[in-house]
Amino acid sequence: MSDQTHMPAGHDLAPGDEEQHSVGARILGYVVGLVLALLLTATSFFIAGTDLVWQPSIPVALIVLAIAQMGVHLVFFLHITTGPDNTNNVLALAFGLLVVFLVVGGSVWIMAHLNANMPPMDQIMMRQ
Amino acid sequence: MLGKLDWSAIPFDQPIPLIAGAVVLIAILAVLIWVVAKGHLPYLWHEWITSVDHKRIGVMYILLASVMLLRGGSDAIMMRIQQAVAYQSQGYLPPEHYNQIFSAHGTIMIFFVAMPFVIGLMNLVVPLQLGVRDVAFPTLNSVGFWLTATGALLVNLSLVIGEFARTGWLAFPPLSELSYSPGVGVDYYAWSLQISGVGTLVAGINLVTTVLKLRTKGMNYLRMPMFCWTTLASNLLIVAAFPILTATLAMLLLDRYLGFHFFTNEAGGNVMMFMNLIWAWGHPEVYILVLPAFGIFSEVVSTFSGKALFGYRSMVLATMAICVVSFMVWLHHFFTMGAGPDVNAIFGIASMIIAIPTGVKIYNWLFTMYGGRIRFETPMLWSVGFMVTFIVGGLTGVLLAVPPADFMLHNSMFLVAHFHNVIIGGVLFGAFAGFEYWFPKAFGFRLDERWGKAGFWFTFFGFFITFVPLYIAGMLGMTRRMQHYDVAAWRPWMIVAAVGMAVLTIGVICQIVQLVVSIRNREALRDRTGDPWDGRSLEWATSSPPPVFNFAFNPDVRGEDAYWDIKASAKQQSVDADRPEYQDIEMPRNSPTGFVCAFFATLMGFALIWHIWWMVILGGLGAWATFVVFAWRDHDEYVIPAEEVAAIDRVNVEERRGLVSMAGTV
Repeated sequence: MSDQTHMPAGHDLAPGDEEQHSVGARILGYVVGLVLALLLTATSFFIAGTDLVWQPSIPVALIVLAIAQMGVHLVFFLHITTGPDNTNNVLALAFGLLVVFLVVGGSVWIMAHLNANMPPMDQIMMRQ
Repeated sequence: MLGKLDWSAIPFDQPIPLIAGAVVLIAILAVLIWVVAKGHLPYLWHEWITSVDHKRIGVMYILLASVMLLRGGSDAIMMRIQQAVAYQSQGYLPPEHYNQIFSAHGTIMIFFVAMPFVIGLMNLVVPLQLGVRDVAFPTLNSVGFWLTATGALLVNLSLVIGEFARTGWLAFPPLSELSYSPGVGVDYYAWSLQISGVGTLVAGINLVTTVLKLRTKGMNYLRMPMFCWTTLASNLLIVAAFPILTATLAMLLLDRYLGFHFFTNEAGGNVMMFMNLIWAWGHPEVYILVLPAFGIFSEVVSTFSGKALFGYRSMVLATMAICVVSFMVWLHHFFTMGAGPDVNAIFGIASMIIAIPTGVKIYNWLFTMYGGRIRFETPMLWSVGFMVTFIVGGLTGVLLAVPPADFMLHNSMFLVAHFHNVIIGGVLFGAFAGFEYWFPKAFGFRLDERWGKAGFWFTFFGFFITFVPLYIAGMLGMTRRMQHYDVAAWRPWMIVAAVGMAVLTIGVICQIVQLVVSIRNREALRDRTGDPWDGRSLEWATSSPPPVFNFAFNPDVRGEDAYWDIKASAKQQSVDADRPEYQDIEMPRNSPTGFVCAFFATLMGFALIWHIWWMVILGGLGAWATFVVFAWRDHDEYVIPAEEVAAIDRVNVEERRGLVSMAGTV
């Protein structure tokens, strides 16, 4: 949380705001992003149906590709960078990721342990 | 044509809601007729309803919260009387009515009292404390308020048209599913929360952006008043947590409307997932409410002790720690669900850890008071009362965070007493402290001291007389939400609690009288300087009430306690000296967008509840069209010329001259 108030006004960019690039540079950025996104999507579909790779690795590969897809969107379409003008956006992203990790991870963990206090099913059967 | 709606929806056979509804309706009509007859309608429309001024919106939020507090309080009185008389009898409230009352009480108190009260105070004060002219998105702010009002309206509509949920304030399935709650009660609950939830989310985004982006020159993060920090933390939590509530309720609604099976008993649904998700929102929610209250106490304690806040940085750290850890404790609401010792132990420990930053805060306030010149005016009384009350509530909370103890106390009256102890002792006392403290800023005159203090003492003692018996009844095994009971040992405590409720009610009446008396004596209570408490932060650096543009010049901040420094240096140099050249100020135009949008949202919400599909489409189109019209506007700002700014500002500078010589001596 560095002191940002002494920077010139408007220097800190919101997601979606553009720095002053020429139209050509901007279009190039979007085209590269689009190509990468399409490539990752196509790979996902290909991996899901192929028998060229070790089968149990497929879900892991899909997760990796999905995370890469999110990264491409963040960098090329939402313009998250590591520059000093992006501190707030990066912090917001980090906080968001932390919350998603806690809530999703926590929920999965909790729900997986739901039956911890239940007697095993065969014991219930034996009693009857 | 009208979906499920017909005459049977009006409860003609139940006198209590019908009479209550009729009285409220007559009161509303009387006020409307008075407003129209006196010709106040244009003023109300131009200056308040369509206002995008953060101060006005803040005041309207607090007004909404106060009115809803009376509604929720009436429910509380009815419940306490019921439990006092329903020993081996049915009492005077039939079960289906009693169940609606405790559900409505919880829903209203959290969503339509506590939330609007703290959001209103944040709206009113934060831009002033940051030394800026408005929030980041003024019109969005108005939309947020009116959507919250829509939610409140729908909940109260359920009193006379149809019914409210009988499921408790969180509508747990499978009870809230269609098979067990076929009526419209749960739909009223869910749709009003969905609509007001959008309003809350909008307010959260607005305030986060305001704190991060709009600060006056020199106001860096570590010079912000504590209330701005807690506002930032609280609104970060709103932005992170409220989507969980929206998604969870959306799934419940899909179950109810389209035959999905997220939370049903059959077809693969899992009711426990609802508990899990609703508390993943619900626990951050309690910190959303209490963090701003902590900020208010920080401001009040430091002002009325005449000292800078002790341990400012540790306070910031504690606030942000609570902000993060509040997302790691939600399972303690359902230890008994059966997730086993590993999971329960981790969440139990996390729940105890979150008490540490809270404890740090308590010590900081105590050390701020230590050695200070304490003035026990009404806001300070609420703050000291809070510290005493909240410590008790916090300790019982740590007790409940021990999973084996929780297995004994889960869903008992002990739990009920605990969360009232922290919500009344923390949030409500904080809201009242903030109300007393910033009222002169909002309206330009102080509140009457005597009635205010009487209100505090009655509320303080009333609280303990009401809720200590509930702790004891919980220890004696009484569970919550009982419409009647047969255990003789509980009876005396229920009667004591009812007496406590009467004392609490006197406290509320004192506060209402205080408001009336103060408005009548407003000339005697007038605050002309804009700094009635010898304040320390920037909201006191402008007149009371502040002009629409807040500050004629953007204040230049050189340290913590910005306004205190300005006063101190002005005293040294015996000047308030040369104001630089006045300049034109651009302010956002007022806009009816919020009101119109909420009007259509009300139509849509009501239609969704009663399955009137053509009206759903009408309301949806209307709200969307309102947004489009707003997006196409050409002129969104108007200019206040420099001469006008100068004229307004000079009056206040004159008044302040006398004050400068007094600075620091009070």
